[in-house]
Amino acid sequence: MADRKVSNWWTFWGVLILVWALFPLLWMVSLSFKDPATFRSSTPTFFPKTWVWDNYKTVFTDSLFTSALRNSVFIAVIATGLAVIIAMFAAYAIARMNFPGKKLLLSMALAIAMFPQAALVGPLFNMWRNLGIYDTWIGLIIPYLTFALPLSIWTMSAFFRQIPWEMEQAAQVDGATAWQAFRKVIIPLAAPGVFTTAILTFFFCWNEFLLAISLTSTDRARTVPAALSFFTGASQFQSPITYIMAASVVVTIPVVILVLVFQRRIMAGLTAGAVKG
Amino acid sequence: MSSVQPATARSRRTTGRTRRRHLAAAAALALVGATLTACSDDGGPPVITWYINPDNGGQGRLADQCAADSNGAYKVDVQVLPTDASQQREQLVRRLAAKDSSIDVMSLDPPFVAEFANAGFLKPFDAQDEQSLTEGVLKGPLTTASWKNQLVAAPFWANTQLLWYRKSVASAAGIDPTAPDFTWDKMIEAASGQKKVIGVQANRYEGYMVWINALVVSAGGEIVTNVEAGKDAKPAIDSPAGDEAARIVGDLARSPAAPPAMSNAGEEEARSAFQGPTGGFMVNWPYVYSAAKEDVAGGGIAQSVVDDIGWARYPRVKADVSSRPPLGGINLAIGNYTTHPQQALDLVKCATSLKNNIAYMLDAGNPAAKGAAYDDPKVREAFPMADIIRQSINDAGPRPITPYYNDVSTSVQITWHPPTDVRAPQTPQETAQFMSDVLQGRRLL
Amino acid sequence: MTLTQERVAAPAPKKAEVSDRERSERRLGLTLSAPAFLVMVFVTAYPLIYAVVLSLYNYRLTDPAGRTFVGLQNYVTVLTDPLWWTDFSTTFIITVASVAVELVLGFAFAFVMYRIIRGRSWVRTGILIPYGIITVVSAYVWRYAFQLDSGFVNQWLGLGDYNFFGQRWSSLFVITLSEIWKTTPFISLLLLAGLVQVPEEMQEAAKVDGATAWQRLKRVTLPNMKAAIMVALLFRTLDAWRIFDNPFVMTVGANKTETLSFLAYRQNVTLVNLGAGSAVSVLLFLTVVVIAFIFVKGFRTDLSQVRGDR
Repeated sequence: MADRKVSNWWTFWGVLILVWALFPLLWMVSLSFKDPATFRSSTPTFFPKTWVWDNYKTVFTDSLFTSALRNSVFIAVIATGLAVIIAMFAAYAIARMNFPGKKLLLSMALAIAMFPQAALVGPLFNMWRNLGIYDTWIGLIIPYLTFALPLSIWTMSAFFRQIPWEMEQAAQVDGATAWQAFRKVIIPLAAPGVFTTAILTFFFCWNEFLLAISLTSTDRARTVPAALSFFTGASQFQSPITYIMAASVVVTIPVVILVLVFQRRIMAGLTAGAVKG
Repeated sequence: MSSVQPATARSRRTTGRTRRRHLAAAAALALVGATLTACSDDGGPPVITWYINPDNGGQGRLADQCAADSNGAYKVDVQVLPTDASQQREQLVRRLAAKDSSIDVMSLDPPFVAEFANAGFLKPFDAQDEQSLTEGVLKGPLTTASWKNQLVAAPFWANTQLLWYRKSVASAAGIDPTAPDFTWDKMIEAASGQKKVIGVQANRYEGYMVWINALVVSAGGEIVTNVEAGKDAKPAIDSPAGDEAARIVGDLARSPAAPPAMSNAGEEEARSAFQGPTGGFMVNWPYVYSAAKEDVAGGGIAQSVVDDIGWARYPRVKADVSSRPPLGGINLAIGNYTTHPQQALDLVKCATSLKNNIAYMLDAGNPAAKGAAYDDPKVREAFPMADIIRQSINDAGPRPITPYYNDVSTSVQITWHPPTDVRAPQTPQETAQFMSDVLQGRRLL
Repeated sequence: MTLTQERVAAPAPKKAEVSDRERSERRLGLTLSAPAFLVMVFVTAYPLIYAVVLSLYNYRLTDPAGRTFVGLQNYVTVLTDPLWWTDFSTTFIITVASVAVELVLGFAFAFVMYRIIRGRSWVRTGILIPYGIITVVSAYVWRYAFQLDSGFVNQWLGLGDYNFFGQRWSSLFVITLSEIWKTTPFISLLLLAGLVQVPEEMQEAAKVDGATAWQRLKRVTLPNMKAAIMVALLFRTLDAWRIFDNPFVMTVGANKTETLSFLAYRQNVTLVNLGAGSAVSVLLFLTVVVIAFIFVKGFRTDLSQVRGDR
C-alpha cells in the first residue's frame, strides 16, 4: 500500500513535468490557429476565439517557407550523413586502436564542443565569400558537420566500446583484414549506435540559427530558423505572429515524431556520450 | 548564379582528379559540393535578379508584368529581403562586399543609398537616363536618390507618415488636428486630458529614428552636418532643435498619453493601440487605413472605428514652422557587378514608369514617387487622403544622407532608448558625443 | 606523438614481430581519424588564426581602401568600451541564473525520472521535446506569450499593462525562462545518467544506518555524482555563455540585453567591421578558455571520461 502511495506521488510529479514541457507547445498550436487579422487585442486570450486554417494555407503557399523547409531538410540530412560517416571512422579508431594523435583528436573534439560559434562568423563569412560557397548548401553543411562531430564521436565511441570485439578478432583469425572485419562484423553491430548519433546530429543541424543567418542571404540556402524572421503580413509593417507560429508548428512536427518513435535511443545516446560509467 | 560557378568547377575538378579514394568521406564531400552548387543555364533570355523588400507580393507581380512587357528580353527572379530595414541593408552589404554579380536590381531604403554609392556598389545612371527616371518625381524622394551629384537610384515609391486621429477624441477635447498650427504639445495635452494614448514608433529600431529625425528637422535642425566629410561629419543633434525633439519624446513617454509598451512599439503596435478603446492619436504610414478596413472585414474591429478615423498632416514642433514629415519608400538601384546592365536598366525603367507607379500604388498600397499618379481617379478613390500624402512626400525631411548612415542612426537609437529616459539637453549631448566617438572608431556600436 | 617515440625507442625483442601489425594499425587509425581532424582544423582552427590576424587591422568591408594596421588598438577599444562590459555582465547574469535554476530543476526532473514507475516513458518522451525543439521557435513562443498585445501571461497573472520587454530585468527574466525551458532536459538527462551510477547498496546501507532521505542525498548520492554534476555544469555553462538566439529573437538586444555572441555577430556581420569584430571574436574565445580552465583546474572537473581517452 505504502509503495503504491509513493509511486502515485512520483507519477504526480511526472505529470507536472509533462505540463511544464508541453504547455508552451499548446500555446504555439493555439496561436497558429488564431485569425491573423483579429488576434491582436488589449486583452488577448489563450485559445482562439475562432479557429482558422488560414495561417497554414499562407505558410504553405509562401515560397519563402517552402524553400526554407527544403533547404533545412536537405542540409540537415546531408550534414548528418557526412558527420556520422566521418565520426564513425574516428570513433572506431578511438575505441579500438592506438595511434599517434589520438589524444590530440580527442582534445580537439572537446575544444570544439565548447567553441563559441559566434567567434567564427566573421572569418568564416570572409573565407566562404572568397571560396565562392557563401549562401550555398555546402557552405552550411561544412560547419554543421564540424560542430556535430564531437557529440557524434563521443556517442559512437561509447557505443563501440560495448561491442563484443572478440567477434572481430575471430574474423581476423579467419583471415579477414582489419578493414574487412570492420565492414562485415562491426558495422552491423554498431548500427544502433550510429542511428542514435544520427538523430542527435539531426536535431543540432535542424536547430542551428547563428550560422544560418550569417552565411546565407537568399532562399537558395536559407534554412527555416533563419527564414522565420522573414515572414511579413499584408504590408511590410505588419508582423505575422500567427504565420510564424504555423511555420513553427510545421517544423516542430518532425521533432515530435522523432522523439515519440526513438525516445529510448535518444535517451541512451545523450547519456552514453557525455557521462558514461 | 554565376557567383557559384568557380566553386562548381573546382569541386568537379577535385572529383575528377581524386584517384586514391580511400577517404570515402572526402570524396563524398566533393561530390555533394559538385551537385549542390551546380546550376543550370538553359540559354534562354537573361534572368534579372531583383532583391525586394517584403510587400504583399506587389513587386513580384510587377516583375512578372515587366518581364512580359519586355517581349522576352529578360526574365525576372525575385529574392525577398528581411522585413527589418537594417537587416535588409545587412543582407545586401554582405553580398555586394562579396562582389556578387547576381544582384542586378535592388529595392533600396533611401537612407542607405549614400553608403552603397560611396562604397561603389551601385551603377550610376547616365545623364540621359537620369532625365527620364526623375521626370515628375516629387521633391522628397528626389533628394535621396543622388550621391555626389550623380543619380545612383531611381525613386520607385515613396512613403510618408500622417497624423491619424479619432474624430470623437478630438471633438471631445475641443481641438482640430487639421488646423495648420497643430503641435505635438497640443496633442499630448489633449490626449492626456481625455485619458487616450498617442501611437508612435519608439522601439529600438529604424522606425524610432524616423520619428526622431522628423522631430529634429521639423524644429529646423539636423542630426548631422558636413556629411561629405564621412568619418569627420559633425553631429548637430546637440542643438535647440535636438533639445526640442528630446523634450517632446520624453514628455510623451512620461505622460499619461504614452501607449502601453511604448518602448517596444513599432508600426503595428501603434496601430493596435490606436484602434483599441484607448486610441486617440497616432503618427503612422498610410497603410494603416486600408489595414483598418481589412480588420473590419475580418471582424476584428467595428466599422464605427474606421468611420471615426481622421487624418491630417504630420504635427508641428513649433506652431509657426510647418512640419517636415518623415520620408520612407524604396529606390531602385542597379548593382555595380551585374552582368546584365542593359536589361537591369530596362527593368528599372519599366518598374518606375508612371503607369506602373499607379498600378503598384493600387495593388500594394504603397504611395507613388511621381506626383501625377495622385491625379489618377482610381488612386483618389482608394486613397481619400491622396492630396495630403502627395504634399507630405513633397515637403518631407529625409534622414541624413551620409555614407555612415548606419552608424549615425544606430547611435541615435541606442542613446534615445528607452524613451522614458530621454531628457533635454542631456540626451542630445550624449548622442553627439557617442556618435562622434563611433564615427572615429573610439567606441563600439 | 610521444606515444610513437616511446614505442619506437623500446627495443623489446618481441616487439619486432608485432611491429608490422602495429604499424598497420597505427596507419589505419590515422587514416580513419584524418577526415574528422582535417575538417575540425579547417572550420575552427584556421578561421580562429585568421581572426587573430584580422583583429590587428582597422578594416571595414564597406571601406576596403581604408584598411590599416593598428596593432592591438582594437583590443584596447573593445576592452575600454562600456558596451563590452555591459554585454559581459548580461551574458554573466543569464548564464549564472539559467545554470543555477537548471541544476536544481534538472535534479528534480532526474529524480522523478529515476523513481517514477507508472508513466515513466511518457515523462521521458515529453521531456525530450523541449530538447529537440528549435531554439528560435522556443524564443518566439515565449516572446508572444509575454508580449502585451498577443500574450496570455499578463491576463492570467493580472498584470494589466506591465511591459515585460520594457526594461532590462524583466526582459532578462523572459530570455532566461525560455533558455531554461529549452535546456533543462539536457542537464536532467546528464544528471539521470549520473544518478543511475550511484550504487544501490550504498543507499541501502545508509538506510540501515538510519540516515534520513536528506542525509542520504547529501552523504551518498551527491558525492557519488560529483563527476556527472561537474561535467553537466561545465557543458551547460559554456553553452549558456554563447547564448544568441533568444535575445536576438526576443529583444534584438534592446534594454541592455545584448550578449557577447550577439556583439560578435553584430560587429562582424551587421556592421561588417571585421577589425574590431575579430577582436571581439578572439576575446569571446578567450573567455571560454578561461571558463573551461576554471572548471578543470579550479573545480577539478574530470574530463577524461568525456573525452573517452581512458
